[in-house]
Amino acid sequence: MSDRVIETVPPDADAVLARARELRRQLSGGFREEAVKSLYAEAERVARRAVSQGGDMRAIAFEQRIDRLVTSPWFGLPIMLVLLAIVFWLTIAGANVPSALLAQGLFWIEAQAVTLFDAAGVPWWITGFLWHGVYRGLAWVVSVMLPPMAIFFPLFTVFEDLGYLPRVAFNLDFLFRRAGAHGKQALTMAMGFGCNAAGVIATRIIDSPRERLVAILTNNFVPCNGRFPTLIMLGTIFVGASFAPAFASVAAAGAVVGVVILGIGFTLLMSWLLSRTILRGEASAFTLELPPYRRPNIGRIFYTSLIDRTLFVLYRAMWTAAPAGAVIWLLANIRWGDRTLAAISAGWLDPLGHAIGLDGVILLTYVIAIPANEIVVPTLVMAYMGTGMMTEMEGLGDLRRLLVDQQGWTTLTAVNLMLFSLLHNPCATTILTIYKETLSAKWATVGALLPLGTAFLVCFLTATLARAFGWGG
Amino acid sequence: MTGVVIWWIVVAVVVGAIVIWPRYGALARGRRSAASRRQERGDNALKHLLHEAQAGRSGSFASLKGTLGLGDRALLRVMEGLRAGGLTASEGGRYHLTASGEQRARHLVRAHRLIERYLADEARLPLTDVHRVAERLEHRLSEAEADRLSASLGHPERDPHGDPIPWAGESSDDPGTPITAWRTGQDGRIAHLEDEPAATFRALVDLGLQPGQAFHVVEATADALHLHVEDRPVRLPLEHAGNVFAQPLEAGAGQTTGLLRLSDLPPGQDGDIVSLSPSCQGFTRRRLLDLGFTPGTRVRPVLETFAGDPRAFRVRGTTIALRRDQSSAVIVRRAGSSSAGAREAQA
Repeated sequence: MSDRVIETVPPDADAVLARARELRRQLSGGFREEAVKSLYAEAERVARRAVSQGGDMRAIAFEQRIDRLVTSPWFGLPIMLVLLAIVFWLTIAGANVPSALLAQGLFWIEAQAVTLFDAAGVPWWITGFLWHGVYRGLAWVVSVMLPPMAIFFPLFTVFEDLGYLPRVAFNLDFLFRRAGAHGKQALTMAMGFGCNAAGVIATRIIDSPRERLVAILTNNFVPCNGRFPTLIMLGTIFVGASFAPAFASVAAAGAVVGVVILGIGFTLLMSWLLSRTILRGEASAFTLELPPYRRPNIGRIFYTSLIDRTLFVLYRAMWTAAPAGAVIWLLANIRWGDRTLAAISAGWLDPLGHAIGLDGVILLTYVIAIPANEIVVPTLVMAYMGTGMMTEMEGLGDLRRLLVDQQGWTTLTAVNLMLFSLLHNPCATTILTIYKETLSAKWATVGALLPLGTAFLVCFLTATLARAFGWGG
Repeated sequence: MTGVVIWWIVVAVVVGAIVIWPRYGALARGRRSAASRRQERGDNALKHLLHEAQAGRSGSFASLKGTLGLGDRALLRVMEGLRAGGLTASEGGRYHLTASGEQRARHLVRAHRLIERYLADEARLPLTDVHRVAERLEHRLSEAEADRLSASLGHPERDPHGDPIPWAGESSDDPGTPITAWRTGQDGRIAHLEDEPAATFRALVDLGLQPGQAFHVVEATADALHLHVEDRPVRLPLEHAGNVFAQPLEAGAGQTTGLLRLSDLPPGQDGDIVSLSPSCQGFTRRRLLDLGFTPGTRVRPVLETFAGDPRAFRVRGTTIALRRDQSSAVIVRRAGSSSAGAREAQA
């Protein structure tokens, strides 16, 4: 048989192609379906001979009972919210101690190095630039970012490994369907709570290019780990402080959860807008496999969450935090006349900042903090205090005195800063990731400017409204 | 004060850049769009002449004017450009295509239909928008790009309206006869939906009619045709029926009654897949087939969410969630009903 085929094939490649084209025209439209059907029939025949199905019917029935519970109309969503809240609580509560220890250790190294440099007679500006600038920026990012990621990602991976995450996408799909997006975007959004760059990479699970772009461009609307410190700080000093101490932490947490829910709302709203404007279209095939539940594999969880995600993200963040540290140090130490560059540029930004209910210092902080959101709070404090390096306050009470009593922050400032922190442009790492994932400077620009524009618009509206009602400065 | 001045300078620089930036600025864009408008007009004239030639007529200045909606001078400029390019020739006030003009016009038709297929199946643009967007994009597709698009779509035979997509350099075939010629009790298959006027096409899409669907004429009344399409009754007003073209059902296609959509199968009830709706094409169809939703497979709805959509189905030992959109493309027959068993035994 095969010999004959070879004989009848003409030697000329063009003739072969022409013959193939000829034959293709004779095929009916349904031949692909027939091919798939016969492949499945063959696979079934092989499987029937080779695979024996044991008495695991009880396990299947048990799984189906779990499935009915976690996707049930009544309990599905509450179970999901409770699990999400537990993950957040564990991340926030668990990260404090290791964060403080790391910071102590890393800043101790800085102090030793500075002493050493001074003893060796190195000029103050080299010591300052290297250690108070570059190194301090790095140390800050590592100590603030590493512990929460090292807690959040493994917890998240456990759910992933169990097979619970596809059920979340299944439950939430109805919201994303209305927004013209894909249910799997619920998962990439949840990854974004850990890190928006990781969330953008996670959109690879969405196979339609249109919905993937929607997911990439809206991932930034959920706050990442780097932005949580800002939100928690504001929630604590402005919301928590107005409650009795016993309820302060709950109220602060409630404020943060409120911001998170607002972020999800913006994700859906923006997805809806995008899928009706520049990414017009209807959601493509929503097909989602709900795999059987598996026992999580501890080794793999540590590998994927620590090596693949945490270290990868941290590595990129460090590359951007070091230059940011350098810039902060330079801005705070180079003088033009009798004012530092930081003070001068903050003065320029002040009219714009005031229009959106913030001030020039806050805007300058966000410009400097483009490389990594983690450095927002320390940079802000540095700029307000006019010290030459990033500084941490002794406690939240000090911070409240500085911001409210000395700098004249109002509730409007706090609310708008929370909104701005939630909505503003993604960090440089995320923008770079968007570029690498889409290979398009255009989409990277949209990914940066869409949230920024939203932030300015929303903050401008709240500020104008609040002022119209005589509320806030 | 200096702050305000600097802000105004920044604004002025940005606005200036938006206008005069090479390639991306407003000026460059304006020049480009004027050039592409000229090309679009010429292309539309070619398509009109091809259409007239296929109908056995030749185009006149008046017919071109009516189709393109241009003034005398603008149209003269367009036709002069085409003649200079060797695409058309004129003779006693009648215009016709040269060989290269005909090739260009055929390519435009093919590009248009391929783009429509792509937009409907892969980009999932709403069907009512497909024609408009394709009308714009067809001018930019080269022949080599059309070949590549055709290959990447798996060499589709028809566009989403049921029109045949010509192979490179080949003309089209029979679109069927209007469904108004069908009589009570007859079976047929929708071959083509006329996409103009847009309002009528939208009405047909809203009725759920798509090329490829099998139908059965239940009754013809004075003002409407009562059809049974796939699994559901459809009342097709006569005013729209003239835009639906059909062909006789091929032998052995089976009955169209007794079927339902997977989305309507009640929870826990087994069903056997009969076919995937012909309206479901491209990415969605490939995905469903890849997941094992092939004819003859047994499925059962097992999970339902809070909103009732999506639902999860047990198929080939796995659980797959589908939105109503997808599951309504799967035509099933209830398993275990005796008539179904009997029919299967016969087949």
